[in-house]
Amino acid sequence: MTDSQEQSSVTRRKYLTLAGGAAATAGLAGCTGEEAPTPEPTEGGGDTETETDMDTETETPTDEEFGVTITQGNLDSGLDPHDHRETTTDIIVMQMYEGALDRNREGGVVEALATDYERIEDGRVRLFIREGVTFHNGDELTPADVAFSYNRIVNEDVGGLASPQSDQLAGVESAEVVDGERAVDVLSGSVNPTVFGLLATYGDIVQQSWIEERETAEINSSANGTGPFQLDTYTADESVTYTKYEDYWDEPAAVDTITMNAATESSTRVNQLVSGETDITVNVPPQEVSRVRNEESTRIEAVPSTRVIYNAMRYDVEPFDSLEFRRAMNYAIDLESIIENVLSGFADATSQPTLQGFVGYNSDLDIYPYDVEQAESLVEESGYAGAEIELHTPVGRYLRDVEIAQAVAGYIDELSNVSCSVRQRDFPTLAGELTTGSIEDKPPFYLIGWGNATFDASQTLIPLLTTNGALSSWSNDEFDSLMDQSQDESDPDARDQLMQDANALANDQAPWIFLNRQYSVYGASNRIDWQARRDESIKAYEIEPAN
Amino acid sequence: MSRARFLLKRGLQGIFVVWGVVTVVFLLRFITPGDPVALIAPLDASPELRQQIAANLGLDRPLYVQYFDYVGGLFVGDMGYSYVAGTSVSNRVFARLPATIELAAAATVVAIVLSIPLGVISATRRGEPADYAATVFSLGGISTPNFWLGIMLVLVLSVQFGLFPTSRRAIGFVPALELLAAGNPLGLLAWLEYITLPAITLGTYFTALVTRLTRSGMLDELGKTYVRAARAKGLPETLVRYKHALRNTLIPVITVLGLQFGTLIGGAVITEAVFAWPGLGTLVINSINARDWPLIQGCLIVIGTSFVLVNIVVDALYAYVNPQVVYD
Repeated sequence: MTDSQEQSSVTRRKYLTLAGGAAATAGLAGCTGEEAPTPEPTEGGGDTETETDMDTETETPTDEEFGVTITQGNLDSGLDPHDHRETTTDIIVMQMYEGALDRNREGGVVEALATDYERIEDGRVRLFIREGVTFHNGDELTPADVAFSYNRIVNEDVGGLASPQSDQLAGVESAEVVDGERAVDVLSGSVNPTVFGLLATYGDIVQQSWIEERETAEINSSANGTGPFQLDTYTADESVTYTKYEDYWDEPAAVDTITMNAATESSTRVNQLVSGETDITVNVPPQEVSRVRNEESTRIEAVPSTRVIYNAMRYDVEPFDSLEFRRAMNYAIDLESIIENVLSGFADATSQPTLQGFVGYNSDLDIYPYDVEQAESLVEESGYAGAEIELHTPVGRYLRDVEIAQAVAGYIDELSNVSCSVRQRDFPTLAGELTTGSIEDKPPFYLIGWGNATFDASQTLIPLLTTNGALSSWSNDEFDSLMDQSQDESDPDARDQLMQDANALANDQAPWIFLNRQYSVYGASNRIDWQARRDESIKAYEIEPAN
Repeated sequence: MSRARFLLKRGLQGIFVVWGVVTVVFLLRFITPGDPVALIAPLDASPELRQQIAANLGLDRPLYVQYFDYVGGLFVGDMGYSYVAGTSVSNRVFARLPATIELAAAATVVAIVLSIPLGVISATRRGEPADYAATVFSLGGISTPNFWLGIMLVLVLSVQFGLFPTSRRAIGFVPALELLAAGNPLGLLAWLEYITLPAITLGTYFTALVTRLTRSGMLDELGKTYVRAARAKGLPETLVRYKHALRNTLIPVITVLGLQFGTLIGGAVITEAVFAWPGLGTLVINSINARDWPLIQGCLIVIGTSFVLVNIVVDALYAYVNPQVVYD
């Protein structure tokens, strides 16, 4: 198929899709016996599917229009930016909503709706709010909207929502408008050294009046943000379409329209990509990578994600109460081979809980080498020779989780003095055991993954390795002390060093088998210029036509 | 027993069956492992947040209270709210139902259009190449798994030759007809373009089954004495075959078609997943993956109810087509 033919085919198909989307509402109304709603001009920026123009002739994309389609595994669980925790919903929402701060591609904190930010005192930081920003309904952004947005997340009495994101803004207690300035103060109960990082990752800004005037269902099916795209049509579970917001405060997006859809099956997503029906598809499995690479019109975009995969070993049960045994488990596995053969190279080996590029990462630590003799010797030293252990693993929760677990168990089982098997677990059941808050409820040995989009070690080390951490299977006074100090330390360099020391201690004490950093593997069309991000987000604003 | 009384009786039986389905599906939630809160809440959520989520979902109430609330809600069409999205289950399930019915109907049409002629040809040309070809086709159709066939059709016809879209649904049938009525045929073309491969995938097994049924039915009828009598009377062969033998053959075929249609409504899960078809099947898969029990319950109840309804309609039709049927 020539380029022109391909373009023609895509245009025609998109035309047909638009025609279908436009008519879908009337069809549904017809089927349910309801009268098709009359299109009305929206006060908010977001139209719902019921407001789509039925005149398909006017919807036909022109040659000049640059439309992009993105296919995820699932769509959103509603469009309220404060009422979800999943990445898939985040990606849908982030095209329309944005925060006071943001992150660049490298994970650094940058200004967005705030023009500047500073720490006023321990527990109080100030954000200076940009002028000339409008919501998609045309109203101007005010500091009161920013304060309301943060309060809606952390305080269930504000904005009619008990937000599941409240603990993502860990430590933040409230926000208030600063008298006489176009600024907002965000208040925390303690120093909260990571607060700017948290605000750069979480905390989408909504318009107070728009939220307060609407029921939950409407907030979840329409939108009114300040982002580069505004909602065009929303068909729950089927598709979401956007158009470029022409009055965006920054440079307008290069993309004119976005269509988000979903396909549960990875092969279906890849088929869509290689057929030119979509431009970006998420989670291309290793076995499909070569198919995408071999097509002239598509490519693989792989990037290290913010998710670490590890095997936790409970410090309070035999044989994992032995330091020698825990170290032996790390020596027993050929991590490079697992990454190459199980994950097709789409992973990085880790030496510590914190990932490279994060604040607190310790670059002096080495990955445990594959050394069977050393492992067997340490097992003998531990006094647990002949131990039989069982590795619990979720099924299908992480990229090739069962295969990784089987490989790890296989290596351990090859030791002459330990036998190991895999126990596949249903994720909710396993998660239920991990999250009771009591270490005694956790399996002695399990595989799990942890995503940390704040690029700060504390958000991994505290929940996963401190004594009172929500997911911890380990207790070490020195480690707890280091992390306590780091949370009270306002000097960034000193804090970074404290967390590096904590990582070194974790490497030495081996509470985990340190496995891999998961990669985000996308398939992308060569008609777009786009690079995958480490934080698993897909920002259509960053997409441009390929040269 | 009169026809009306018969249908009333079947209707009452159907209500009990649906009630049984509702009860079993409701109780399944409590005997399957896995706490929905564990799946919804973030891994590091505090116990307070977990309790709050459980309270918001009503999971902290006694089981019988939850059951009677749920059944009471069903009487007014309220199937509760999705754990994950917080949206109305009824709205989501009924929004998906047309896509599934369309797909099941299209698969049935594929089956009828292909299987009956194939079965007739196969029977009337017994032992000839056409019969062998039809037999091989039906054997292949019955033996071919849906998911494999779907993937192959996509790889060959969509990816390789670009004849059809790989997946999704561009437009519903009713909106497509409305556009056609307004003078725009593109909607119907889009509908056909997107539904063809899923319908073939879903309908192939069905086609093969009905082909075999038609063939054996025709052979059976053609051997009966009334056919010999008709031939002896000098009736044209086409009249003997298509007016007399085929008509009698179709009675069991109609029954199977009806029952299979009910099966297709609940059995399109794999086909819908392969083609990202936005019907009940994909909703069931997504809701099971998310442990979204209200949504799972809603889907299963609608599928179960559809099956019961189709069975009642088939019973009524069967009696209508075959006057010899006695209501009892």
